[in-house]
Amino acid sequence: MASDNVRWVQPIWNIEMKNVCVAAAAALFVSSTTVVLASDEPVDTPEHVVGEQAYPFDSNDPREEDDKPPIELPDSVAPKLALLTPQELEFLKSSDARDFTGPIEDTIETLNERTPEEVQAWVQAMQQVVNHNHYEEGRDTPNIQLNTSSPRFYAWRLQRPRSMDPAREAGPVPLGRYDGDGGPPTFGGHPLALSKEDLIAGEIDVAILGAPLNMGSGWRDSGQRATAELRLISWPLGSADQYALLNASKILNIVDYGDVAVDNDNTERSMSHIREIVREIASTGAIPMIVGGDHSLEYPNVAGLADVYGKEKVSVIHFDSHYDAWWGGNHLIGHGYPVYRLINEGHVRAEDYIQVGLRSRGPDKSGFKWMREKGMRYHNMGEVEVRGWDAVLDRVVAEASEEGRKLHISFDIDVLDPAFAVATGTPVPGGLTMREAIPIVRRLCAESNVVGFDLVELHPALDPTYKTTLNSTHIIKACLTGLAMNKEGIDAKHYLSPLSSEHAIDDYYGEQQKYLDATKAEEEKEEESEE
Amino acid sequence: MNLADILSRCGMATLILALLLSPFEKAAAQWSIPEELRASLSALNDEQVEFVSSGAALEFIPEWQLEHELATRDADSLRTLVDDLMSVAAEMGYDPNRDMGATPLNLASKRFNKGKLPTPEPLRELKRDAGPFSVHRYLFPTSGVPTFAGAKVAIWPEDLVAGKVDVAIIGIPSNAGSGRRDARNGPNAMRAINTIAATDQQSLVEPHEMLSVVDYGDFNVDGMSTELTVDHVTDMVAETAETGAIPMLVGGDTSMLYPGVKGIAKARGSGTFGLLQLNAHPDSERFDDHTVSDRSAMFLLLNEGIVNGNETVQVGLRGSALDVDTLQWLRSKEVRYHTMAEIQQRGFDEVLQKVIREVDKGPDAFFVSIDVSVIDPGDMVAAGRIVPNGLSIDEVTRAIRHVCAAKDIVGFEITDLAPMLDLSHLSVINANAVLNACLVGIAVRKAGLEPDYVHPLVLDHGQR
Repeated sequence: MASDNVRWVQPIWNIEMKNVCVAAAAALFVSSTTVVLASDEPVDTPEHVVGEQAYPFDSNDPREEDDKPPIELPDSVAPKLALLTPQELEFLKSSDARDFTGPIEDTIETLNERTPEEVQAWVQAMQQVVNHNHYEEGRDTPNIQLNTSSPRFYAWRLQRPRSMDPAREAGPVPLGRYDGDGGPPTFGGHPLALSKEDLIAGEIDVAILGAPLNMGSGWRDSGQRATAELRLISWPLGSADQYALLNASKILNIVDYGDVAVDNDNTERSMSHIREIVREIASTGAIPMIVGGDHSLEYPNVAGLADVYGKEKVSVIHFDSHYDAWWGGNHLIGHGYPVYRLINEGHVRAEDYIQVGLRSRGPDKSGFKWMREKGMRYHNMGEVEVRGWDAVLDRVVAEASEEGRKLHISFDIDVLDPAFAVATGTPVPGGLTMREAIPIVRRLCAESNVVGFDLVELHPALDPTYKTTLNSTHIIKACLTGLAMNKEGIDAKHYLSPLSSEHAIDDYYGEQQKYLDATKAEEEKEEESEE
Repeated sequence: MNLADILSRCGMATLILALLLSPFEKAAAQWSIPEELRASLSALNDEQVEFVSSGAALEFIPEWQLEHELATRDADSLRTLVDDLMSVAAEMGYDPNRDMGATPLNLASKRFNKGKLPTPEPLRELKRDAGPFSVHRYLFPTSGVPTFAGAKVAIWPEDLVAGKVDVAIIGIPSNAGSGRRDARNGPNAMRAINTIAATDQQSLVEPHEMLSVVDYGDFNVDGMSTELTVDHVTDMVAETAETGAIPMLVGGDTSMLYPGVKGIAKARGSGTFGLLQLNAHPDSERFDDHTVSDRSAMFLLLNEGIVNGNETVQVGLRGSALDVDTLQWLRSKEVRYHTMAEIQQRGFDEVLQKVIREVDKGPDAFFVSIDVSVIDPGDMVAAGRIVPNGLSIDEVTRAIRHVCAAKDIVGFEITDLAPMLDLSHLSVINANAVLNACLVGIAVRKAGLEPDYVHPLVLDHGQR
């Protein structure tokens, strides 16, 4: 068969292939025991769209619902309306028309400026725009057709059979020859794991997963660069922490879980696979840390956690200069929509959302009103301006640590001030400093019940200094330190090592003895545990 | 149900057929199992033997490694490997019960088609007479609102008609495709660093004296879908071309090559013009799982007959997609391709002469397209799909200037400039130089001069 006979729509040979070999593939998918699939979890959740199904949830945006009554036009403009049909007149009075005409005074002014013929053309043009903008069956395609006749349709996410490589036992794989060092760069120099079996065999606490998704994130470079450069500059992820005086990599079993496959020409298509890999990690009890790509990732990350821990059982704290609960465009996912979509599909309750650092141009009044009515705890930079960071910090940590919460931390690096993180898709000045960000992340990971973490929207090429990447790794490190503290049972409010945070050589702050006692108590506890 | 049952039901022949139709047809067809390894096949059942000896496995494993595995594995381990390879082979295609075949959209959206409708005339607040207008306060401005080539602005087709516009420069800020992203900032970066359309130092022709040039704004794109962008761009390019103006398009990623050329074809007819394309990438992917992308833009244009292969000239190919199958496909379509390997062998000047001859033999009308990846990273580090060892900016501008002066240009497009990736701004300056080369070429032609005309004043100072 010559390649130029390939047709996008139903090539003759492909019908046969579809009927026969797809049946084989489907049968294999269900029954094969020889192939290790990405996950043994079922994929029959309603949001897993197959074939050409429509979105299975209500997609109306309640914040856009019209409750504005029609306007009443004075008799004085009646001559101007002479040529309008009853439908056109009704439209002119409706709230749809007010998107164009503004308040009633403006409508009257515009009518007075125009002849009846011009008024009719004006109303018809508004109707044309409204009709054009709505989806219309038969005129508009309800979806984005993929080239299903491609013989490589599934290749982008097809996993390499283990049998193609030399046999090895399951578990984390060190890549270097010097006690694991000296190999290709991994997150923090931690060993590599590629399957659920590796995670289980290694009793892994934290699996760091690169996610090079970058379709939706403002100005940007490749997502691959984010995950690669995070690995290059990730030595902090394997190193000791001076605030708590511990080394997370000695307390937690941490692995680099490789990168998840994404389709950077179609965010929606990437979602179900990312969710599957996150679910795979979480189902072993490990904490998935998803790093790199755009904030669309929050949707599959949290949905994957909800698959494991149950619907509406996971809380999310969303660090971001944007609230990412936009909705109502033609697409169902993008880096501005994950929060709304998670709530819309019932993975997370709105009241289990905490937002920190908001300061972008939106949301508007209706967005904040919606958050308040839904019970979302939002903390924009205005609150920080009034109360000061320390007060907001304590309030946020208290909310996130409420009894019974399982917490996912979604950290968009644009919550940081561009002075600290210029290499991001949509930076907004006036954000957090690193001295604010490190403690809050460390405290949350130590004091709350964290089950997932992501760090997103890193675009290293936009910062020639590597500063943004370095700061990103220190945010991740702050969480690793916190998780290690939590595992060690150090979950007291705002714990810092009494040895490192005070020299206690004099009584400058009047607390010398307190620090000396606390240090001694820790030493005794350590000696006990060594015995 | 085990694998053998499935395969007997499915038919091994179909599976092999499907694989033979894949991009690996050639590799599979050429390989045969070495005589000394035939004995190891005795461990396998008939279907497995067929799978291995047909070469179908080579899509997943290199030839040398398959031979190594056959030579070294014990029977059990070989059966496991072949079983696993057959399983992945069966999973490669689309499965309507497993895969999303079409991405659902938000049908309840009130903005479902927003951005694809230019404001209807009765809703335009400003009333003005048709025609291009200046954005400057001064008669001889030196700064202000940046426009392409410092040109006047036109917004509606009637502006182009009223102003007898020759050249409409248009941004298409798409940002999809396979490159490092940021192409969406290409148009505005090229507006902001305007170094072009000054007196041409070779011919002393002044482009703005010869041509009515406008900045025709941007065409809207759907930032989340190339598929939902192409129809609007196609229509807008066609509408622009129908006014008689030459659309000069500034991407945007190279997926916009498809609607750019298709739009001209919609206005003038498919196959009525040739295509010169400078690109490191063949963009002739035949098996893409998307219906349109930068990877498949040339394939779509050729496959749909929008341009004819024998009237298509590609220069500078060297990207990773340039494999044996792709080159053979281009050859089968009679595309006149010139790889960097050819240029390194023959020298650029010789290849340029060949290109010029091929273009001369083609139709009078030509579309000139450049993906900035064709330029060497030394001159163009902000190419979205950067590949080392490319053409110099001087070589590229010479080629483009000649063709734009020699032919009846129906359209021009520059794609995949990702300006944020070059802090020095050199890439933007050079991207503008490329656009300028074509603009000057068009002006030289309109002045009635030979394509490579050199004004005697610049060639020699004339002193004894």
